[in-house]
Amino acid sequence: MKENNFTRRDFLKLYGAGATLLLANKFGIHSIAWADPKKKSLKMVLVDYSKCTGCRTCEAVCSAYNNPVKINGENLLGLGNPVYSRIRVHSFNPDVDVPNVCNMCPDAPCVKACPVEPEPKTGRKAIYRDEKTQTIQTDLSRCIACGSCAKACAEQRTGVIELDPKTGKPRPICNLCGGDPQCVKHCPFNALSLVEVKTNRKFYGQSPKKIATELAKKWYGVSDLGGLK
Amino acid sequence: MSSVKGYFGKLLYIDLSSGKIEKRTIPEEDLTKFIGGRGLGAKILWDNLKKPGIDPLSPENPIIFTTGPFSGFPVPSASRTCVVTKSPLTSPVRSTYPHASTITYSNIGGFFGPELRFAGYDGIVITGKANSLCYIVIDDERVEIRDAKKFKGMRTDAFDKKILEELKDRRYKTVYIGPAGENLVRYACIIHTSARAAGRGGVGCVMGSKNLKAIAVKGSSQPNVANHKKFLTALEKARLTLQNSPSTKYWRNYGTAGYIVKSSDQGTETVRNFREGTFPEAYKIGAEAARRDVWVRDIACLYCPLACKKSGRTKGKYGGIVHDGPEYETGVMLGTNLLISDMAGLLKIIYNVDDLGIDAISVGAVIGYLMEAYEKGMINKKFLDGIDLKWGSVDATLKIIDKIAYRDGVGELASKGVKALSQKIGQGSEKFAIHVKGTELAAHNIQGNPPRALCYATANRGGCHLNGDNAQAQNFRAMIDSTGVCLFPAMDNSYEEPIISMLSAITGIEYDRAQFLKAGERVFNLEKLFNYREGFRREDDWLPDRFFEDAFTIGPKKGAVLDRAKFRDMLNQYYKERGWDTETTKPSESKIKELGLAKII
Repeated sequence: MKENNFTRRDFLKLYGAGATLLLANKFGIHSIAWADPKKKSLKMVLVDYSKCTGCRTCEAVCSAYNNPVKINGENLLGLGNPVYSRIRVHSFNPDVDVPNVCNMCPDAPCVKACPVEPEPKTGRKAIYRDEKTQTIQTDLSRCIACGSCAKACAEQRTGVIELDPKTGKPRPICNLCGGDPQCVKHCPFNALSLVEVKTNRKFYGQSPKKIATELAKKWYGVSDLGGLK
Repeated sequence: MSSVKGYFGKLLYIDLSSGKIEKRTIPEEDLTKFIGGRGLGAKILWDNLKKPGIDPLSPENPIIFTTGPFSGFPVPSASRTCVVTKSPLTSPVRSTYPHASTITYSNIGGFFGPELRFAGYDGIVITGKANSLCYIVIDDERVEIRDAKKFKGMRTDAFDKKILEELKDRRYKTVYIGPAGENLVRYACIIHTSARAAGRGGVGCVMGSKNLKAIAVKGSSQPNVANHKKFLTALEKARLTLQNSPSTKYWRNYGTAGYIVKSSDQGTETVRNFREGTFPEAYKIGAEAARRDVWVRDIACLYCPLACKKSGRTKGKYGGIVHDGPEYETGVMLGTNLLISDMAGLLKIIYNVDDLGIDAISVGAVIGYLMEAYEKGMINKKFLDGIDLKWGSVDATLKIIDKIAYRDGVGELASKGVKALSQKIGQGSEKFAIHVKGTELAAHNIQGNPPRALCYATANRGGCHLNGDNAQAQNFRAMIDSTGVCLFPAMDNSYEEPIISMLSAITGIEYDRAQFLKAGERVFNLEKLFNYREGFRREDDWLPDRFFEDAFTIGPKKGAVLDRAKFRDMLNQYYKERGWDTETTKPSESKIKELGLAKII
């Protein structure tokens, strides 16, 4: 239970101090990867909020790439229904737009929260860090639709995990499109980039609402952000 | 799913009198002939109003929200929604019908139309009148009419925030009216995202007449396309075309406001109630000043690489306003047209106009007219409820806007538009009451610009600056408004070809440029036939005397004035090209047949 008392602040402090091995032990097997310099580093899509215009092109290209269709035996990009995008732009009043995408947290609270027993062979829970892509992926066949991952993400980080209203299971999470994220490639305003995960970056792991509140204050001098609490 | 690809083929019919909600199939022929948006809206209006002279504020008049075949697909700048209804603002010179008025088609950017498609509908048709203020919630298949009494009188900025709290889901896209719409100001508009407006022709007034405060929609599906692979190829080309276009860069940097100084410099700006085409102080409220002092954000509509919306915060005496603008239309109609050059004051005016839900163009023209009538002593301070409505006065302008939104005192008459005002005030003020068919003209002045004069005179919704300066441009734009794409990127010629190939790929109907224009011509002619049936004739395609008599006294077009005889000739040519009778403007039988409209009318 000691782990539960380990706050994000502690984590950042420790991380800043470079206490990587200690953390690796704390977070267990799934986070060793980033701690081990021989393994691939963690990467994520980073947003430059000052450049984002809220056009949501990222949503369409993400969805199109990750939901391909087979037509006459040929695999083609889908039509980009934004509901199935893994990046979601949250728009506020006054005009602040915050694209939300998996921050690839080294400690992965979503994985930790998953109550499904790890598969003996792979060590994977129903939500796990994929060895190859180093992204958080789901195994829906083993998922029990408890929503713990989404809750953990929402409470501790960005809240990017969405549950499918029909199944109650998490919708697919950013997989970095095999190393060439479509959102980064197609953003008309160059607001997105593929970078190494650094948890001490400003806004790292924060909810869109929290980010938007701060940006609204900075840009408009307004702290009363409209819409949902 | 529709047999015509690229559509659901489904309309949501809501009768607010009975509360009946129906999902109706759109006839295949309506989709292939009228495409969507403005065209499909015109066809639906024609079908719903079977006779002329119906009171636009009666329950019978439908208010129609249409999307186009591009809506909901990742087509760059395919963000538009069209609102079609019978206008409560327009009227002919004479007609046998007391409630004669034109069709209006008001176009709005943002996110609403595409979301409506995600919900599974190509459009919404709303008839009837609710007993008390209500709003409509659409969540895919689920459609509800809900009580909105607690929102009564709420301004649009507050409502934009409140409605999402109520719905508890940020993904709802909403359109709504403000106090002006609720109070039936004839040129009330419909607002989206607290700043984008379906401004023209009084669509917000019609919404208010139905006791409908708002519509909220969210959805999760998409229609199919006819030729998937061809669509992807065309889409890639469309993206690259806009990405590489110099115009895109211009829109991003300056928005429409870039034209505020430019237009003044070339003598085509609306200044001092259309008296002049140049305003020496335009630079104080232009894009460069705004970028320096106000704008902090470039904001885009759905899938748009242009991001022409600019948001920021003002400082100084009228400071503290957090809003978008100035844009060209808002900045000119409420700025240069009233000789206002105080940036913060202007933005406060723009904010209030949007917040109350009034069309910025019409209200700018109304106030310009009142300022001139006051200056000339045709009306006094008493008439204006004590407001000292002098040129350039921000305070007086703010006061009169409130009066109009609440139809209080002078606002009662002013809420009916410049035509109604001038009929009451008389004394020759009709000469500078700037409207065509009752719709106030916009921010492009015309003493030195005859093609734009023709644009205003022949627009089916009355004095519209976006109509197109000649028949071909008008047909093209009618079609652009029917696809769901925005006119701004389409002003760049290089985007035409991608638009036409995307439309072909989505619908499976092969269009070339000629066929594309032909479809636009069909839309334009159906609108015209609607107006003709109401009693609009050639005399209604005419401009106020000011443009023929008051030559510009300053600027590069100093001395410019329109010539009546030449303008008459221009119109003759135009009607001939259109295949319309030059005496009556009635579309000829052969034109009607050629366009496949004979069966419909």
